[in-house]
Amino acid sequence: MLGVAKRMLKRTDLAEDAVQDALVLVWRKASQYDPERGNATSWLYTILRNRCLTMLRNEARETPTAPEAIDETIDDGVLNTAWDRLESTSDLKRCLAGLDFDTRRAILSSYVLGHSHGEIAGRMNAPLGSVKSWVRRGLVKLRECMT
Amino acid sequence: MTDRSLGLLIDEVALGLADDDDVARLEAMAAADPIVAARLDHARATFALLDDTADPLPLPEDIWKRIDQSIDLAEAETAPVAANVSGQRASKTEESNVIELGAVRAQLSRWRLSAFAGLAAAVVLAVALSWTVMSPKEPAVIAVLLNDQGDAVALIEGRPDNTTRVTLLERPDVAANQVMQVWTKPDADGPPVSLGLLETGESRTLTIQGLPAPNAQQLYEITTEPAGGSPTNLPTGPILGKGLAKEPVI
Repeated sequence: MLGVAKRMLKRTDLAEDAVQDALVLVWRKASQYDPERGNATSWLYTILRNRCLTMLRNEARETPTAPEAIDETIDDGVLNTAWDRLESTSDLKRCLAGLDFDTRRAILSSYVLGHSHGEIAGRMNAPLGSVKSWVRRGLVKLRECMT
Repeated sequence: MTDRSLGLLIDEVALGLADDDDVARLEAMAAADPIVAARLDHARATFALLDDTADPLPLPEDIWKRIDQSIDLAEAETAPVAANVSGQRASKTEESNVIELGAVRAQLSRWRLSAFAGLAAAVVLAVALSWTVMSPKEPAVIAVLLNDQGDAVALIEGRPDNTTRVTLLERPDVAANQVMQVWTKPDADGPPVSLGLLETGESRTLTIQGLPAPNAQQLYEITTEPAGGSPTNLPTGPILGKGLAKEPVI
């Protein structure tokens, strides 16, 4: 859990806060947990990721991004590791491998690093609207491959 | 909404690309329509494979204490309302207010202790222990994997829902560009099927869908494969250990 949060938030202290908040939310929302809708681990990770995304979006609004947080070399390393570790026998890996490099990168960075459309556009130096439709085309292709 | 745009919305929510309004819209649709809910859960489960690629980091030792304090704090904020609702005399002085609050908090604390015995605790503990509440505790089969020298290298516990607990009994010498991959043969005459990778070189629980429940005499083995797993989806590397499963006597 902490590893997932730290990958998105980059700082251990923030990641620990996110895990703590997520577990408190689990306690409060336990009555909403429906075993018919997937296992408990999946439910917990959804809550954790949502918490991390909220923290990321709030932080982006409230504080200037620290220089180390925009170090693309670090982000590239994290994404490369995630890609290498992703199980090669999975449909997700096979179908992501069928996308062009930039589209795959954008999808991976949204999930693994919590990047928004805006951040992806910033890093690619491309207009936001173009990036949105371009990621959507990638997602349609991914979905077609996996069904 | 067309099926294509619904599919995109589901993917964007699962990835974390959707804005708050879209997330709320889809959650409302999922609450009203089990098919949408199932599609959303499926999309989340698909991308959740990427969660397994994060470094496993230990939670800080004081996390449970911090959680308990967070819940205490939240309850302290809501307690005055609870005091009024329960019909207790609402005090007008700050001093007596503190006493009222203490009593309510004590009640809430007792209530919480019993509540912790319920689902919330089950969920939190299940995740902490890396198995799901839906998994039966008892393994259907157990296999001890032996290396060429006959030394035990791993213990396999296969559960009926095909979650497989792999406990390494020694730290194998695996090169940095290689990974351990766990295999089984659900059908003795069929090909080996991958149960998953041990990327971090540590014991873990693997989950796979679509296999029959494990049976006695089922073969399990661990091989070393190139990083990312076998390129052929069949064992290619040297066997670190193998063994046949047996049903435990319980």
